Amino acid sequence: MPAGDSPSGGRQTGIPVTQSDGRQSASLARTTAFPTPALACWAGRFTPQVNLAPAALRLEIAGSLRLFGGLPALLRMVREDLAAMDLAAQLAVAATPLAALWLARAGGTEAAICPDLPTTRAALAAVPLTALELVPPLARRLEGFGLRRIGDLLTLPRASLGARLGKPFVIDLARALGEIADPQTCFVFPERFEQGLELPAPVEAAPVLLFAARRLVAALAGWLAARNAAVRGIELRIDHGHGVTTSVPLAFSAPVHAATRIERVLKERLDTLVLSAPALALRLRVGHAEPREARSQALFDGAGQRHEALADLMDRLAARLGSQAVQGLACHADHRPELASRLSPDNPADKSAIKPPASAIPPRPLWLVDPPEALREFHGRPQRAGPLTLLAGPERIESGWWDGSDARRDYFIAVDSQARWLWIFRDPRPPGGWFLHGWFG
Amino acid sequence: MNPSLAQVLQRPDIRRGDAFAVAPAPTLATGFARLDAELPGGGWPRGALTELLPEHSGIGEIGLLLPALAALTAAGQTVVLIAPPHGAHAPACAAAGIRLDCLRLVFPRRSRDALWAAVESLRCGGVTATLLWLDALFRGYLPANSLRRLHVAVGEGGGGAFCFRPPQLAAEASPAPLRLQLQAAGEQLRVKLLKRRGPPARQSILLDIARPAGFSQGVSHAVAGAALPDASDLRQRSRVAA
Repeated sequence: MPAGDSPSGGRQTGIPVTQSDGRQSASLARTTAFPTPALACWAGRFTPQVNLAPAALRLEIAGSLRLFGGLPALLRMVREDLAAMDLAAQLAVAATPLAALWLARAGGTEAAICPDLPTTRAALAAVPLTALELVPPLARRLEGFGLRRIGDLLTLPRASLGARLGKPFVIDLARALGEIADPQTCFVFPERFEQGLELPAPVEAAPVLLFAARRLVAALAGWLAARNAAVRGIELRIDHGHGVTTSVPLAFSAPVHAATRIERVLKERLDTLVLSAPALALRLRVGHAEPREARSQALFDGAGQRHEALADLMDRLAARLGSQAVQGLACHADHRPELASRLSPDNPADKSAIKPPASAIPPRPLWLVDPPEALREFHGRPQRAGPLTLLAGPERIESGWWDGSDARRDYFIAVDSQARWLWIFRDPRPPGGWFLHGWFG
Repeated sequence: MNPSLAQVLQRPDIRRGDAFAVAPAPTLATGFARLDAELPGGGWPRGALTELLPEHSGIGEIGLLLPALAALTAAGQTVVLIAPPHGAHAPACAAAGIRLDCLRLVFPRRSRDALWAAVESLRCGGVTATLLWLDALFRGYLPANSLRRLHVAVGEGGGGAFCFRPPQLAAEASPAPLRLQLQAAGEQLRVKLLKRRGPPARQSILLDIARPAGFSQGVSHAVAGAALPDASDLRQRSRVAA
């Protein structure tokens, strides 16, 4: 991960972590410019206790270590996320939030990882006083004393330091060293998620937007994790400037909360999107978040996994091909065959709609030809690549006088000269004629 | 036989020419005992492409798969149809034993989308069987390298993949390890195994697939109405003519 100052006049972001036994560890990130609330939302993925320090983000990770499989695993995930969002950041882990902030500001070629107090104190000794970002008069005085590092301060008697430099500075020092408590105000995750970002340059190709949108999706995933929520739909607004926006709604067949799933669906949608004008900014909005359902059953048989994989597939197919291109099938109580079968949007909510009719029906073809194909008639027999042989029938279907599409037909099962099984009907009303209405397949 | 030779022959990586190869993945029972006996592993392969080449569409090629699909959906497994040639008729599917909530239909408009959807569906672990009608969307036929992509994709997903293809391709080379040619034979369906993992099949099999049973004459399904007065006469005439 790139460390130190970012080239674009980057800001610092820090992250602290408290431990349940009262000791704290903190990690800090120095990042490129990025709306900090969005980054705080992202951090919700790791811990609900997030603190926004000036230009820094601090996470209390002590309570999360076990969940994420230890400090190295947690740090790896943080780094992966930062890399995926293309954020340069300086990480530090310390036993107190303030120490973590100072360590991160101090920078260094690699992240300072000090999970307990002794190592934190040892690491702090080497931190230059510039990393404390003191007010200029205080900084000048310290420089006048010939003090360069925190270690130089620690060799001096604390009481006289307080007298010369003021109580607040000594209290800060004690907080960083873990001698007194340092309570932090937590970031309050907003009730509704709406985050945006400006693109560094106008983007003309929609697929490229995915890269920027990834930051917003990561923020959304963190927000969802912190609120233990899931979403069925999100809306990405692409701002073209001059008040012109494109709305890209995404719908999911089941509530989702993982960044990877949202990203995969978003990718398919953006791949097929054509922008009307270059995009200048993005905004991600969630209309309604619902509580996440507890993962139940299916722990051992993999059915849950299969179900999730299927939902993911359907969402991506719908995102790319259009929602009309992915359908389920449902029966409908109507005698007219063309109305007895309906395509239903994926995942029919009403399970009764897909139940077949209770009474046994005469044979129906698997494929329906819509609209029915007119057949020639020769010597009173229907023809289709030669005469058709009628095997069974007729079955009279007469219905629909009330809704304008009145049908009165006599259906036959027929076989053609190529041994294909057809479902044909004859219209007894003038002008009559034979029609192919289905294939038995 | 020399006992050590017999021992060697037990090894799974040794195959004798007159026996089936060890099936790489579990199979899906076809529902036809005679067909199961001829297929390596005793059923439709999972994780490998199966090509079905019906002589004409409508001769009963879906009927061949129906027992397997009914069993799968009854167990709650998902079946995906990609670019079906006609509109599927829900009551008929339900009557054939297919659970409709386990059925998904995908209608891609362009060949590129169709291939993408097919690959994604085959790769998805949540789809147990995928039925594909891809050739119609391509100018000419589905290119051979696309077929190979499909085969690789289904190897990842591990479901069944049934690709319906035009009969003219029977002589073409194909990466699919199982290829069946389907011909009508009266009420039955003649299945010729063009290719399988194992010794070449010597003869084709006749299968009794489900055919629409004749309904009794004069059944009025909907609002009352008499059958055509000349219906029986008409049928008789057509039988005689046939």
